[in-house]
Amino acid sequence: MISELQKLEKNALAELETAETEEQISNIKTKYIGRKGLLTALLRNIAQVPDAEKPVYGKLCNELKERLNDLFDEKLQKHAANRKQNLLLKEKIDVTLPGNAVWCGREHPVVLVRQEICEIFASFGFSVVEGPEVELDYYNFEALNIPKDHPARDMQDTFYISDNVVLRTHTSPVQIRVMEKIAPPLRILSPGKVYRRDSDISHTPMFHQIEGLLVDEGISFGDLKGILTIFLKKFFGENTFLRFRPSFFPFTEPSAEVDIRCVICGGSGCRVCGQSGWLEILGSGMVDPAVFENVGYNAEKYTGFAFGLGLERMAMLKYGISDIRLFFENDIRFIRQF
Amino acid sequence: MLVSVKWLKDYVDIDIPPQELAEKLTMAGLEVDEIKVISPQFSGVVVSKILSVAPHPSADRLSICDVSDGAVTYRVVCGAKNIASGDVVPLARIGATLPGGYTIKSTVLRGEKSDGMLCSEAELEIGEDASGIMHLPRTMALGNSLDVALNLTDTVLDVNITPNRSDCLSMIGLAREVAALIGKKLKKPSVKLKESGEDIRSLASVVIMDDDLCPRYTARIIKNIQVGPSPIWMKSRLEAAGLRSINNVVDVTNFVMLEMGQPLHAFDYKFLEEGRIVVRRSKENEEFTSLDGKSRILPADTVLICDGVKPVAIGGIMGGVNSEVRDDTQTILLESAYFHPASIRRSSRKLAMPTDAAFRFERGIDPDGVIQALNRAAKLIAELAGGSICRNYIDEYPRKIFSAHDIPLRYDRIKKIVGTEISARDIKKILTSIDLTVKADGKGRWLVTPPSCRLDLTREIDLIEELIRLYGYHKIPLTLPSISVSETKSLPRIELEGRIRRVLTGNGFSEIINYSFENPLSADILNLPLSDRRRQTVKIKNPLSEEMSVMRSTMVYGLIETAKRNINNGSSDLKLFEIGKVFLSQQDALPDEMNMLSCLMTGRLTDTFWHIRSMADFYNLKGAVDNILFDLKISHCKFKSDEGEPFLHPGKSCGIFYYDEKIGFLGEIHPDVLEKFDLRNKLYVLEIKLDYLAEIWKQNKIQFREITKFPSITRDAAFIIPDDLESAKMIEIILEQQEYLLENVIVFDVYKGKEIPENMKSLGLRFSYRSPEKTLTDSETNTIHDRIINKLISVTGAKLRS
Repeated sequence: MISELQKLEKNALAELETAETEEQISNIKTKYIGRKGLLTALLRNIAQVPDAEKPVYGKLCNELKERLNDLFDEKLQKHAANRKQNLLLKEKIDVTLPGNAVWCGREHPVVLVRQEICEIFASFGFSVVEGPEVELDYYNFEALNIPKDHPARDMQDTFYISDNVVLRTHTSPVQIRVMEKIAPPLRILSPGKVYRRDSDISHTPMFHQIEGLLVDEGISFGDLKGILTIFLKKFFGENTFLRFRPSFFPFTEPSAEVDIRCVICGGSGCRVCGQSGWLEILGSGMVDPAVFENVGYNAEKYTGFAFGLGLERMAMLKYGISDIRLFFENDIRFIRQF
Repeated sequence: MLVSVKWLKDYVDIDIPPQELAEKLTMAGLEVDEIKVISPQFSGVVVSKILSVAPHPSADRLSICDVSDGAVTYRVVCGAKNIASGDVVPLARIGATLPGGYTIKSTVLRGEKSDGMLCSEAELEIGEDASGIMHLPRTMALGNSLDVALNLTDTVLDVNITPNRSDCLSMIGLAREVAALIGKKLKKPSVKLKESGEDIRSLASVVIMDDDLCPRYTARIIKNIQVGPSPIWMKSRLEAAGLRSINNVVDVTNFVMLEMGQPLHAFDYKFLEEGRIVVRRSKENEEFTSLDGKSRILPADTVLICDGVKPVAIGGIMGGVNSEVRDDTQTILLESAYFHPASIRRSSRKLAMPTDAAFRFERGIDPDGVIQALNRAAKLIAELAGGSICRNYIDEYPRKIFSAHDIPLRYDRIKKIVGTEISARDIKKILTSIDLTVKADGKGRWLVTPPSCRLDLTREIDLIEELIRLYGYHKIPLTLPSISVSETKSLPRIELEGRIRRVLTGNGFSEIINYSFENPLSADILNLPLSDRRRQTVKIKNPLSEEMSVMRSTMVYGLIETAKRNINNGSSDLKLFEIGKVFLSQQDALPDEMNMLSCLMTGRLTDTFWHIRSMADFYNLKGAVDNILFDLKISHCKFKSDEGEPFLHPGKSCGIFYYDEKIGFLGEIHPDVLEKFDLRNKLYVLEIKLDYLAEIWKQNKIQFREITKFPSITRDAAFIIPDDLESAKMIEIILEQQEYLLENVIVFDVYKGKEIPENMKSLGLRFSYRSPEKTLTDSETNTIHDRIINKLISVTGAKLRS
């Protein structure tokens, strides 16, 4: 009898192997383990089994039934899953067609650079302040130690609204306005538009600057070097090479021009750096005591440094933009690149 | 300033290559913008000796020379007469090139072979003498290249002199710096001269009427001069500095100006009436013809140099035609003066005469260098133009010119500014290297006196700058300041702008930046009525062009222009925004500057051509405003249709209000305005006052409300109402009833057409009801809903659409 069971199992497996549809599998299942199936019949025949073998035989029958049941169900499930899958695949779409989003807009590159710089200086505790773009001659020049009829006025070609009112030529007047109102210590950053009467391939009559000012007790030229070095390395990369070079600004003394090794040629000399291997990046210096006197700060007690830089220039170097005028032509094909 | 290194070597022994010199100057604050090498325009020309000269057998004017370059002897046919055996001359050998690109080849001249060419100064363009072959010193080594033998190659540095360093507008000033930088001594030129003949005071007198403009005037007279060309050394130096050689007298005045920084002027003495010099300020409308031949009306308060009768020069700026040194001039009066810097600057700007002299006077010249320059120039003129220098000089010096002395310098202050210790010995050494006198006062201070040419050094901080400039910025170690809390806070508007940028870029808008100035016609183009506040523009007195002559009072004009430029470039689907200022003139000295947000939308809404293609309209742009207000959590904004703008479509525009305050506008650009821009595309724009928005936003506090767990029940209802009854009015009437179980009401449908009478529309509203305490039953909901609808119908006369 046991051999009958083995034969039955072999037949059942062979039939299952050839079954291709769910219906066929169900039929085989009924044929073997249905209520009127072959295995059920064999189990009913237990009476003919010798008593001593009965327990074993019964156990084998039940085990076989269970095993076959699992196999049939497994194959049935597989088929059902396949059927569903095929149905879904009929809904297949072309995933390579473009997405249907509202395309993101982009911020202006000058704004991106401004934000980056403001964030770096925010980490040094600088907060952002502003001042008017149409400015009194006093704030734009005189309070910054640039008297009328002084040759230093030649450094910036000025738009005049009246004899005493100008379009600010730099963001430095904000220094004065803030210092007039707030006592030291001070850490401020003032970004904004500035205007100079100049227009050619490398100059636009309006551009953007950021001015920074730090005033406290015990601020030294070494601190100026320290802060500006960290800033430039954060902005242009850790391997940026820089140098501080003596220069002249009427409102700082000592003054320093900061150059970085040319990011285009790496210092070997190219058109961008005028063959010098260096790029002028920012102007800086220790606040001139005359400026402190103009705003009523105690120049013996407090020292400080200021710096200013052009945002378009920073953006040009960062993104490799060759013509400053592109910033204000506002061609959407330009702005979308950033 | 153009600086010839060769010339500089007259005053300091430079033993480093020009490249390194340039680097040192740059790192000391005298930035070298460019390094130019000037070499002669010939090559292959060598020093040679004529061994023999024989007549040419078949040409009288030619001779045949044997010429040796020390190694080889060449046979050369020559047409010049001034040659003899033993002369040392320049030989252009076969293959040499001469100025103009002419190459020397072996030729046959009238049957005689010629293997080279003997050259004149003019042929080599190192002088003007074309009369014969150039003669070289007989001691010169043969075979050497001529440019090496004559040291003709020079390097010129273009040094950018900052406005504070007037002392470096001269060769000696720069040489002083170079000497300090390379540890050498400065060699000053000789000013010793030989006087003879009459005393100047018997020939001339000087009167200064206005000593505020001219505190010092000195003069010498040189007689019996011979005006003529300058020697090569003089010409090449002037040329390297960018000046043209004129004659030996004028050249000397220019040379000494470049050498010592003191501008000079030479008058032809015979034109100075009464032999008098009178220095005075000009009167209104005086006319004068300067050396450049131009007649000018002088501004008042210009320094005039006059003779006994008439003006002869604009002091410190330019001489006059009427007393100019010419070829036949025999006696000159040489002027060396100090003019007041600001006065020269004012005059030279008003006259638009930025001459080399004015440039130096307005930056300030060495008040003690006036006499030295006078003597130096007199000596050189006497040397180059013959002539004799009359005895004595005139020095009118009625008003003392300030120069600083004994400036206190504290050791601890240096450390405080620099941030690092520099030894007392180094400090003293550095300061004395540029001719500063340093004395210790015994109280830990030095008293420092700068040379008279250093007008920029008057305070302790000026000395500290000098010190670390020469010490080297690179040697100062990096430090970081310790953190202290500052009272300043960033402006809320800056943060607001950041949030708006985020919302708008997320909505597909890209940021632009237009110039703040625009065409004054923009107000007309935008149809602004004459009474419109935005016509009170801020005007630029000296604009770059008329099109950029007023500060914008709205951003709309610039937006339309930008849109047009993009459309012309083929980009007609645009979503743009700009954040910036507009300017309105007002009573105060300074205009009202307002921060604005503006947006523009036109064309398709997405780039996805294969999918849904919808075009921008009023509601898309309004949606952007809604999104911004949602992000800022600002409610209570109203859109009022009768508060549009003259440049907007009257039926598709509105004012944006916060309570009663108009904070902006929104709408389609008026077809008339579009026509003026020659545009057919529909443009939608908005402008919002950011300062107001920031004020509102600043006061916002976000307060969390409990989320109810009970479900809401919705009821829809459609009303037939007149076209001009706005949805906002309907909703307002509903909300006025203050049914607290009404959670929300929204517009779900607007319909016009079939089944709806003309001039009417159907407005579908969806009401949501919810109780925070329980699940509402249908009958409870219906009671409230019916109440609301009945009220609405009774107030508006709307009909319920079945």
